[in-house]
Amino acid sequence: MDILDGLGQGFSVALDPTNLLYVFIGVLIGTVIGVLPGLGPTATIALLLPITYEIEPVTAVIMLAGIYYGSMYGGTITSVLLQLPGEAASVVTTFDGYQMAKQGRAGPALGIAAVGSWIGGTVSIVGLVLLAPPLADLAVEFGDPEYVALTALGILLVTYLGTRHPVKSLAMAALGLLLATVGQDLITGTNRFTFGSISLFDGFDFVAVAMGLFGVGEILYNVEKTEKAQALKSKIKDIWPSRKDFKDSSGAIARGSVLGFFLGVLPGGGGVISSLASYGMEKRRAKDPTRFGKGAIEGVAGPETANNASSTSAFIPLLTLGIPPNVVLALIFGALLLNGVQPGPQLIDQQPEIFWGVIASMAVGNLMLLALNIPLVGFFVQLLRVRAGILAAFALLVTMAGVFSVNNDVFDMWVVLVFGIIGWLMKKTGFEPGPLVLAFVLGSILEESFRRSMLISGGEVSIFFTRPMSGTLFALMALVVIWSTVQGIRRRRRRSRPSMPGEEDLAATGTTAEPEGTPGYENTDDAAGAPAGAPREGSGSTGAPGSTASKAQDGGPGPDRG
Amino acid sequence: MRRSRSTWPVLIAATTLTLAACGGDDGESTTGGGGGGDAAASDYPTETINLIVPYAAGGPTDLAARTIGSCLEEELGQTVVVENREGASGSVGMQAMIAGGNDGYTLSLIAVPASATNPLQDDVGYTNEDYVPIAAVTEIPSALIVGEGSQFTTAEEFFTYAEENPGELNVGVPGTTTSQAMELRRLAEEYGVEVTPVPFTGNAEMTTAILGGNVDAIFINSSQDVLENIDAGSFVPLAVSPAEPVDYIDAPTLAESGFEELTSSVSVFGLAAPAGVPDDVVSTLEETVDTCLQKDEVREQLGEQYVPDEFIDSEAFSARIDDIVEAYGPILQE
Repeated sequence: MDILDGLGQGFSVALDPTNLLYVFIGVLIGTVIGVLPGLGPTATIALLLPITYEIEPVTAVIMLAGIYYGSMYGGTITSVLLQLPGEAASVVTTFDGYQMAKQGRAGPALGIAAVGSWIGGTVSIVGLVLLAPPLADLAVEFGDPEYVALTALGILLVTYLGTRHPVKSLAMAALGLLLATVGQDLITGTNRFTFGSISLFDGFDFVAVAMGLFGVGEILYNVEKTEKAQALKSKIKDIWPSRKDFKDSSGAIARGSVLGFFLGVLPGGGGVISSLASYGMEKRRAKDPTRFGKGAIEGVAGPETANNASSTSAFIPLLTLGIPPNVVLALIFGALLLNGVQPGPQLIDQQPEIFWGVIASMAVGNLMLLALNIPLVGFFVQLLRVRAGILAAFALLVTMAGVFSVNNDVFDMWVVLVFGIIGWLMKKTGFEPGPLVLAFVLGSILEESFRRSMLISGGEVSIFFTRPMSGTLFALMALVVIWSTVQGIRRRRRRSRPSMPGEEDLAATGTTAEPEGTPGYENTDDAAGAPAGAPREGSGSTGAPGSTASKAQDGGPGPDRG
Repeated sequence: MRRSRSTWPVLIAATTLTLAACGGDDGESTTGGGGGGDAAASDYPTETINLIVPYAAGGPTDLAARTIGSCLEEELGQTVVVENREGASGSVGMQAMIAGGNDGYTLSLIAVPASATNPLQDDVGYTNEDYVPIAAVTEIPSALIVGEGSQFTTAEEFFTYAEENPGELNVGVPGTTTSQAMELRRLAEEYGVEVTPVPFTGNAEMTTAILGGNVDAIFINSSQDVLENIDAGSFVPLAVSPAEPVDYIDAPTLAESGFEELTSSVSVFGLAAPAGVPDDVVSTLEETVDTCLQKDEVREQLGEQYVPDEFIDSEAFSARIDDIVEAYGPILQE
């Protein structure tokens, strides 16, 4: 299908009154949960999964996508006004955004963030339109060895990128892989770890696991910390940025759009890494880096643009390969499967209304957000007065009813509760649920593809290295491992000496931004609630996010080549 | 094809016999249920009927259940509630149906062979004696398909190559315990023609695999999407699975290609009730399904080509299941 025809069809889907309503609901929910520190896009989408079952698949994805990119806008508001990142991807915005607010420039900070987000989103949509169809054509050629390479790369990156404790992440990823093996073995038909229980024949239900770990785990964790909303410190005026503001931030917005786009496509990438990388890049490029952290508008514009761009481009691997690059997309993947839609190379041809409809809805949704954000900032801030306990009780009720409604199976409710407690304990002990859930989703793809590759090759492992695409991907993986090891050694050596400019900034950002008890939350784009008003009680992390950013930039274009 | 009504008494008698025969030690409960149901016999149904679909909403079985459910509702004048109870390849739904009781108000849309082969393989909480097949709604054959540019253009070329190069050809199948996978095993064991079955999950994955040239052939349920690909020329059918040729797919049967026994890989979706359901309920439902399947709008919704040319009643449906159990039982219990 021609791109123009596709877009035409997409807009006819997106502008359908029902879908228009759901775009609006999606971006509104997204903004609201972006503002509320207790709930992030991952938890919200996990909680809403069962509801999508009742609506058309395309409408469901339109709404969930709206929540995702909407939360990128919403998170900005509290970061700027209260130095309280509403969700993880907005952590860097607190550095300069809050300083701007203290100088009475909260308006322009929010304004430039909204405009930048809109531009980033739009650039990403254009990239998605131009890149996804050829990538889907290419993806048809992808065989099982390529899927093995891609999923392995995804799991590797998600445990490495932006993680303060790669070992903990690795342990969680391993647990995720193990959980993925529960149920009937596709190749031999034998049952594994089912203990004779028929409820486990199909393995753990992804929705139940995700709702437990993110939804209930998050709720429990937040209820523990009774955070009071702080009073609004500054008045918001002159939201529309001045000509000088635009001039100062135009470069940052342009770079942020491109950077965010590529980091979003990367497995394990997403909003948080993009915003960190963009902040680092702007600071490095600036003529006077000392302005950063004191209210430089580029420090708000760049990261906010990048996180929004990445939340759009993250749909590329999902819609063309059927591989979710990060946890939020893994949930959207689950929503599609729940509705009987198999995302993959066939999607564009067989269900063009979903592919193009979702893309077109993003264009519409981003416009809505621009319109919503500028006049309604004051209203959104009021939301912080809602007490966490009330919100939590309500969310828990919705979760339990919701998960039951998917399969009408009481067993799933137990799964949610058990994983909820596991998720809560994990958060308390500094383990991240992100790598676990992503490995759980990718694990079954990895295993099936690996074993099919073995069947096809007659047991020859060389199949992974002799095929050009999978060979390239495995080489890339080797590079990532070597690079990060070398970086780690160099950083340790350099510790006493002055470090590279970009790295130090991010080390500093890491120190202020990472709340205790939720280390490494920035790698997965979720855990949005994690900061939960504790941005300052950070512990002394040393430069981990710095290496994250540089690594991410390095590996950025990788998957596009693949 | 319309069948004359005058055969009904014969069928009912036959059904009773079948029930008694396959019921075994359930015989008593059959009579008991029948006896209990006699009073209400003439006016069944008098209340809402629950139709359980053991698979996900939106899938092919769900579509068949909702189509036939709304027609039953129209014909019988009682509400039919369709409920999806998926899980464990249909076993969860089967258990739910059996637990619903054999008064004729809990029915299920079963998908043969899965519902018949599941209990052979594992302890899934029911056996093939626990339910009574009532009538088939649709029949979907499997097809052996190669991609557009394949070196094979006929079944003969394909099987000759496979015979000369054992295990070299990779053939995608929709899962390891599906009829397609088992037919390929029988192909190797009974006819000495060995290909490597490569299990996928569902038609979308298999379609991608054959289009990308990652397997040599696929043995797949010829559902609507597959027929579309055949029409478009990107799929080339080499052979079909039923005993008789299929008029909408231009390929010989496996039996015609020299494998007389390989005729069981046909998906049949049909209505079933828990064992012990009163005979008159079975016959009422049989009759109603037959009426429904003659309606144009029902045929169109189900896919005209998939509605059996000749109505498959309870007896014929049971016979199908017995054949499957006989053919696949030994393989599954290995």
